[in-house]
Amino acid sequence: MKRTSLYEKHLAADGRMVDFAGWEMPVQYSSLKDEILAIRNKVGVFDVSHMGEFWVTGPEAFQFIESLIPNSFDVEVGKAVYSPLLNREGKMLDDLIVYKVADQKVLICVNAANVEKDWNWIEKAWKETNPNCEIKNSSDSYSLLAVQGPETEKVMEKVFGKSFTDIPYYGVDTHSNDQGEWVFARTGYTGEDGFEVFGNHEQTVWLWDELMKQGVAPCGLGARDTLRLEVCYPLYGNELNDQLTPLDAGLKWTTKLDKGDFIGKSALVDYKPIKRLIKLSLEKGIPRAGYDVLNMSGEKIGEITSGTMSPILNKGIALALIEVEKFPEDKSFQVEIRGKQYPATYHTKAFVQGGHK
Amino acid sequence: MATQIPENLKYTKEHEWALLNDNVITVGITDFAQASLGDIVFVELPEVGRTLDQDEAFGVVESIKSVSDLYSPIAGEVVEVNEALTESPESLNQTPYDSWMVKIKVDNDSEYNALLTNTDYATLCEG
Repeated sequence: MKRTSLYEKHLAADGRMVDFAGWEMPVQYSSLKDEILAIRNKVGVFDVSHMGEFWVTGPEAFQFIESLIPNSFDVEVGKAVYSPLLNREGKMLDDLIVYKVADQKVLICVNAANVEKDWNWIEKAWKETNPNCEIKNSSDSYSLLAVQGPETEKVMEKVFGKSFTDIPYYGVDTHSNDQGEWVFARTGYTGEDGFEVFGNHEQTVWLWDELMKQGVAPCGLGARDTLRLEVCYPLYGNELNDQLTPLDAGLKWTTKLDKGDFIGKSALVDYKPIKRLIKLSLEKGIPRAGYDVLNMSGEKIGEITSGTMSPILNKGIALALIEVEKFPEDKSFQVEIRGKQYPATYHTKAFVQGGHK
Repeated sequence: MATQIPENLKYTKEHEWALLNDNVITVGITDFAQASLGDIVFVELPEVGRTLDQDEAFGVVESIKSVSDLYSPIAGEVVEVNEALTESPESLNQTPYDSWMVKIKVDNDSEYNALLTNTDYATLCEG
């Protein structure tokens, strides 16, 4: 199994290590609940070095990205865009963030489990369209920390001795200090304010130690998953997969059919969604991935894709994919847990409103 | 903090504790179990009167991230259920040996005597 540059730090912090996409990663340190509260109320840090980083550089870097992803990349330099990555059938290969770091310079950050698949796909598209830019898979050269929570900016200013107020939400900037070159991105997966900090392995070990000195709580992937579910961010492999288009999974907003051509566009123009992603909460019982969602007559109409107990709300929360054909007009749902049916409340907004800028 | 394993109790490989008193065993989960599970947020217990086989699943304990079955250490009839746990599942984390789950009336005590002793169970936890 692969280990990040922070493996020893995780053991020293009593991290409980588990296999995640072939990586030995900390799922939890002290208490899952305490880690969740640290991120919502103060500041915590996740090691997400297992994620992949690709660079696209050169005169046609921006155009190449525009042809590769369904979301619009027509943003200023210093901004980032969230998008799915589609195959020619418009089905989702992954979801990723594309950072317009500088003129002719783009950084793509992808899910750990999909690094190889994404790289092969992007390389294929690059060879086919032959744009005037270079592509590079730099995943092995980078470590990545996600510092998240309302006190992130304060802590980052102390550690780096510079102001971060100029970087907007979904903004990106580069910086050099004694340690080397950094990429700072005001992104994350928790709904709170925070930065994802890309650096080489040695730099990142230094940053981890500095964050610990500032009292930043080490947080595991368990907390990260609960936090993202509370703010209803989808997870590839749960809500998103290669059998679904973005239109099936609540990502219509990332699919700009009115922009120029992109991979998968022709398949999506007349596409009729087969699934619909919904948010459900339960007063009693905890919904889990794979549980059946029923209508009020007890007929199965879909499945929970992610579910947990939200320690902040003290109730069960879930995302579920419902078959469009069976979507109940009254928006009344039940979840079956161990043979018993529990009433579920349909939500139009995220369960928790994160405090991001 | 070291795992607490009281001497006067018997244990199972599924990390439950049991205590026999007048043909009734009291059952809960161990300190090791609660620490492994993390914050416990939900408990589902059986109906009084249900008859259980040895090792039969009788309930469920859930943490934020996980679902675990509870298994009966011994065959018998459920005579009492700790309903208070459904309101305060966190007490399983705080005081695992005071937070009993069910009381089971047993036919004979040979199954009870065959359960793990505290020293056997300590070895299992270290493994």
